[in-house]
Amino acid sequence: MSKRQLAMVMDLNKCIGCQTCTVACKTQWTNRNGREYMYWNNVETYPGTGYPKNWMDLGGGFDAAGDLQPGIIPNLEADYGVPWDYNYDALQGGASFEPNIEPTWGPNWDEDQGAGAFPQDNYFFYLPRICNHCTNPGCLSACPRDAIFKREEDGVVLVDLDRCQGYRYCIAGCPYKKIYFNPKISKSEKCILCFPRIEQGLPPACSQQCVGRIRFVGFLDDEDSQVFKLVNKYKVAIGLRTDYGTQPNVYYIPPTESPVKFDANGKIIPDSGRLPIEELEKLFGPAVHASIKTINEEKQKRKDTGASELMDILIAYQHSDMFRLDNNYYKQVAKEKGRNPLAPVDNRYIAGKFTKGGHEMNFFHGGHDNTSGGHH
Amino acid sequence: MKKLASMLLVAGVITSVATADSAINAVKVKADLDKVDNKSSVWSGAKFSDVTLYPQTAIVLNDKKANELNQQAKAIKAKIAAVYNDSKIAFMIKWPDGTKSVQQEGKTDVYGDGFAVQFAQNYSNPKELPYIGMGSDGRPVVIHLQKATGITFEPNGNGDIEHQINPNQTIFFEKDLANYKERVKTVGNADYQRSFISEGFRSMTQIKDGSDQATMNMNYDSKAWSGTLSRSLKDSNLNLDAATIPVAFAIWDGAKMGRDGLKYLAPWTAVILKKGDDTLVNALHGKIEGDVEKGKEIVAANGCAGCHQVAPTDAPSLMAPSLVNIGGYASADYIRESLVAPNAAIVGGYNRNAHSNTPWYNLDNGKRISAMTDYSFLEKGDLDSAVAYLKTLKVGAK
Repeated sequence: MSKRQLAMVMDLNKCIGCQTCTVACKTQWTNRNGREYMYWNNVETYPGTGYPKNWMDLGGGFDAAGDLQPGIIPNLEADYGVPWDYNYDALQGGASFEPNIEPTWGPNWDEDQGAGAFPQDNYFFYLPRICNHCTNPGCLSACPRDAIFKREEDGVVLVDLDRCQGYRYCIAGCPYKKIYFNPKISKSEKCILCFPRIEQGLPPACSQQCVGRIRFVGFLDDEDSQVFKLVNKYKVAIGLRTDYGTQPNVYYIPPTESPVKFDANGKIIPDSGRLPIEELEKLFGPAVHASIKTINEEKQKRKDTGASELMDILIAYQHSDMFRLDNNYYKQVAKEKGRNPLAPVDNRYIAGKFTKGGHEMNFFHGGHDNTSGGHH
Repeated sequence: MKKLASMLLVAGVITSVATADSAINAVKVKADLDKVDNKSSVWSGAKFSDVTLYPQTAIVLNDKKANELNQQAKAIKAKIAAVYNDSKIAFMIKWPDGTKSVQQEGKTDVYGDGFAVQFAQNYSNPKELPYIGMGSDGRPVVIHLQKATGITFEPNGNGDIEHQINPNQTIFFEKDLANYKERVKTVGNADYQRSFISEGFRSMTQIKDGSDQATMNMNYDSKAWSGTLSRSLKDSNLNLDAATIPVAFAIWDGAKMGRDGLKYLAPWTAVILKKGDDTLVNALHGKIEGDVEKGKEIVAANGCAGCHQVAPTDAPSLMAPSLVNIGGYASADYIRESLVAPNAAIVGGYNRNAHSNTPWYNLDNGKRISAMTDYSFLEKGDLDSAVAYLKTLKVGAK
């Protein structure tokens, strides 16, 4: 267990499945060098096959006795999907627009299909997923080379590429299948929670770019952070498949809002909802009931009195409130460990328990020498 | 004399221990051993010995498909020879493998065949060699590994950022793009050869300071692999300049999803460079005293099966290392030491978090204390018999 734990909360009522987070992550980390097929962040339609295909059936995680469970390593063609591209180059010469390989599977192949019968009771919602940076990571426990570690200072789970020998037991051990094999370098890679950004006081790219403002980021022990309030104070944010026993640190506000159902004659069934509670229970466990109850009560309270801290948080007015990172804390850690921290590049999100006052460097308002930065 | 011979014969019947494969007689050559592969002429005068490699089952890993594929794994018989000159020693290992498996660039669940050669850093006392599976605390080993892979790239591209860009995001088109892709290929390395120092399962660390001067090759032909290793007799990690040295071998079958602990393992095998000192040869290949049947009773009476798997079952052995192939890859001295001094060499085993209720050892000020009872109270005769019985625990060869 790390000294502190960074956590993320995702509000599923607000996710519109636009994949901006997916693209933000991909362009930052995984569009090259053997990672092309990887989605450290993906948004899948639930119910659906997910990414990789049927990941919930692939084992890993721990049983009730705390024993790591065997798992299956997904296949690139069948389970992840081979990334394909088009012949833009040849179009000039009059060729027809063709993919370089015949696409047979890929992430979101079943996007928006969901379940139920249209138009009576069909339903789906979006489930964005990143590495859960678990307190008890299955990948870490599975690694026979001690190549995976959990950072003391913030609980971010990372792969030491120097030690990793590409055995892939971590992939079998992770019940979320959020660690991937990079066949080009023969090593495992995963979401790093954008730690180079985090250390500068910036939220992960997926969170900053999210147009629905569904993602909150902060330290679980920072009582002023919205993450703390959603997870610990109101207890409305719950981990995904906590029955896997890995103690995930990405939390979800379960979807509470859904349209009413229609009867056989196309008439509205009053007070009906389309999301079966059993599906939410499967994902979030029995705690989902209390979460939904609290959200509904606070919603009512807001209607009645005009005031509800929880509703204010979920409206997500300000990025600076949603992201409470702590640049000074990392500076302190860097000082203790003798690392030389880089100057922060943006101070809009920097506010935390250890942070007092502003910062010297400001990327957007001068003061930063950008001449050395190349961009392709 | 006649009486002695018949006694030995009786003892031989009682123990019925198939004695270990014989030692390897290294042949001294004048030839240069800097560049050795399976086609090198040095092998024409070499003496090949049979060495049996047993499936590693002390610890079962968490890949469901791989475990299913390997449940009925049999031992593999290899032929191994060694040659040496004044500064280098070379090994060749030939083993049957019906399927050539090469780890490929575009696959997530394909594994390469491979082999490894392991040396003990300190082998002065043959009774206290490192644990066969990658050494043990305070008893380091040097391991040379060669895997059959396609082109593999360094994670940081050796600092070459330019050739790590997605080709579609370069400024290049057509011929320039093709050239760029060709350039990228040259940054990769097709030879997956690694050297490690290890003090037990999990602790293996790659030697990256250039102190290791080794060349490895592997070639597939007629349903068999031939692997060669050539290395210095002496470097800063290892001194093999002795009359006899203990060497161990491992092979991986990629078709059975073999990698890491999912491998075939030979016991410490004596490699004789100079005749005269038989201590190591006797320790590793000599006759084992003891009554197997009596040993079986002793093992049962002392409740070894309470924690250790003695006979194969479907369930993973979580309480303690499985013993189903211990007779194959462990030496009699190692088994004896484990019984009378369980803390001397502790199998690193699982990450303690993976099976937190069944730790194989406890930590006392950072020192590992085995969870196993000390059996030094056994009388010598009983101990001999227990060792003789445990040496019979192994699967047959293909």
